[in-house]
This record gives sequence, C-alpha cells and structure tokens, in this order.
Amino acid sequence: MSSKMQSSSSIAQARRTVRQLRIEASIERIKISKASSDLMRYCGEHAKNDPLLMGVPASENPFKDKKPCTVL
Amino acid sequence: MGEMEQLRKEAESLKDQITAARKAVQDTTLQEAAAGITVVGRVQLKTRKTLRGHLAKIYAMHWAVDANLCVSASQDGKLIVWDTITTNKVNAIPLKSSWVMTCAYAPSGNLVACGGLDNMCSIYNLKGKDGNVKVMRELAAHTGYLSCCRFLSDSEIITSSGDCTCVLWDIETGTQKTVFAGHQGDCMSLAVSPDFKFFISGACDFTAKLWDIREGVCRQTFGGHESDINAIGFFPNGNAVITGSDDATCKLYDLRADQELITYQDSSIMCGVTSLAPSLSGRLILAGYDDFNVNIWDSLKSERVCWQVMTTE
Repeated sequence: MSSKMQSSSSIAQARRTVRQLRIEASIERIKISKASSDLMRYCGEHAKNDPLLMGVPASENPFKDKKPCTVL
Repeated sequence: MGEMEQLRKEAESLKDQITAARKAVQDTTLQEAAAGITVVGRVQLKTRKTLRGHLAKIYAMHWAVDANLCVSASQDGKLIVWDTITTNKVNAIPLKSSWVMTCAYAPSGNLVACGGLDNMCSIYNLKGKDGNVKVMRELAAHTGYLSCCRFLSDSEIITSSGDCTCVLWDIETGTQKTVFAGHQGDCMSLAVSPDFKFFISGACDFTAKLWDIREGVCRQTFGGHESDINAIGFFPNGNAVITGSDDATCKLYDLRADQELITYQDSSIMCGVTSLAPSLSGRLILAGYDDFNVNIWDSLKSERVCWQVMTTE
C-alpha cells in the first residue's frame, strides 16, 4: 500500500472515530441517584415473582417429580 | 494544522467532554444509594433435571420463550432441543460443521440457529411440513467465527463475530441488512433489549457497545474492563447492561446515566467470567467462571450471595 493510500485510510478512520464520538457525546444523561433508585425499585417490585429469592411452592413447580398416586 | 492533527485533537476533546458529562451526574454511587438494603440471604437450589445426551463439550444453550423447551449446541456436532420437564429430546439435529460456538431459539418457537468456526449462521426450521428438521438458510458473510446469535423474529437475526462486527440479517433473502462496525476486537457476545429496539455487544477490545438496531448506529460505548468481555446481558427492565470479563469481574452499566454503576469482584476470584444471567427481578446475577464455579451476586450490593444445593426437600 502506498503511503498516500495509508494516510487516506487513516484519515477516513479518524473521521469515523470523531463522528462516532460526536454521537456518544450528545446523549442526555440522568443522575446516578435516579438510575440507582429506579434499579432498586424494579428489584423491590419484582422480588415476589423471583423464584430464586422466594422459592417455588411445590404445587406450582413444573420440574418437581410427581409422586405416584394410588387410586383407592 | 493538517486534517489528521485536527481530527486527533477533536477526538481527544470529545473524549474529555464525555468524561466530564459522566462525572457531572455522579451525585452518588449505587453502593451509597443501596447502603440501607440488606444483602440477600442464602439462596437454596435443588437440581431438578439432568439433560443427558451430548457426547462432547456443550458450548451454548438458549431457552425458548415458553421456558419449557431449550436448545443446546455441542461440539459433538449436534443441536438438541430438549423438553426440560420430561427431559425428552424433541429434536436432535446433526450439524454440517461440528465446531459450533453458539445457538439460539426464535421467540416464535419455529426456528433455531447456530454457528461457530464455519463463520456462518445456520437457520433450522423445526416445524417443517414433513416433520424433518432441515437447514432453512445459511447466512454467510462474516470473515470470522460466529460467537453469538439472537433472533429478533422469524425473519431477522443478529449475529456477532470474531471479525469484529455484528450483523442484522434478513433470513428470507439470506442477506445482510445492517453491519454494525466499530469494535476493535472480536465480538464475543450479544443480547437484545426487552423492547427489541437495541442490542448490546461485548468484545475483545474490552468494551461493550449499545447499538440502535433500526438506525444502525452505536449509541454508547462502555469501558472499564481490563480484558475481553465474554458475556453480556440486559438487566430485566432494559435500563442497564451486565458484562462478564476475562479480568475476573462483572460490571453493571446504567444506560441512562451512561456509565458503570458497580463492579462485582472479589480478591479471591482470579479467573475469567464465561457466562452470566440476571434473575427474574434483577436482584441476583449468576455468573459462570473459568474455574468451573458459579458465583451468585447481589446486584445492588456487589456481594456474593451464599448458595447451597439442597439434597433433601
């Protein structure tokens, strides 16, 4: 590759980098206090539906082996 | 000043702007905000089923939306669709290439996909008319291995590759709709947002990127890891991203604050993270490590949660 081609491809790369950084610099950011409280609230609201936190009642557990029934 | 020098200066200035803007919203930390919450108590687990049938290393698995069926991919050259309640194999699909690294189940339940060192993503129709599972499409264009794939629908799938790009494919035509370029290292993993508008990718350039699927652009880049990111996932509400890295840590990045909120690390853990998933509420993060262990983290407290496997009811 000639040095002219090399420098034009690195300029193209540098332009892409600047274009991308402009996109990333332009976003709105919320405060960490709000981000944190929203995460904490989501965890709190959904804890009761989280089987790893609450366990699963045997009657509702599809993976629990069924005990054989006897018909009297 | 030459254009190259100008561009270099502008890039540095933009990076400083981003750093400053991130700092400006640091009115607290997640650790401080969650200080009043108690760490989750012991989690009790019980092994319910063991799915036996693969003859070599299992590289990947993915649940179907019904949380009953799942698909797994093994380097024995098979994709197996399991009924996890009965442990029956619903389908055992022989692969053309046994070097499979990833698999995915379509939300509809109609299709599964896989790929690996063949650089292709192969789509299989599980609901073909004659009952046989056949290759429906071979999506070929990546110049590197297929590390991960995830369906948006029966007509669109996103792939990540060792060629440093992610691609959105039109399954019907087998063509690339959008190429997501920007990572400077192999893309190792991807996850789609709950609303299907974004996806995140983790790569060997130590960064995670958030991509706008329809606009085809990277909206945000998250750094901080000191080695390859192997695993990535969304927090259940779609507002945060969790990554797992060869640097032995997991991190949580908030999308709206545009920065890392917390790192899950312990000085006794010295090996890489290979896989991760949040629990349904997001409160727990389960992470698999290179030492064959799983650690469960309290996502808000960055402390490991004790867990034990119960052998009796």
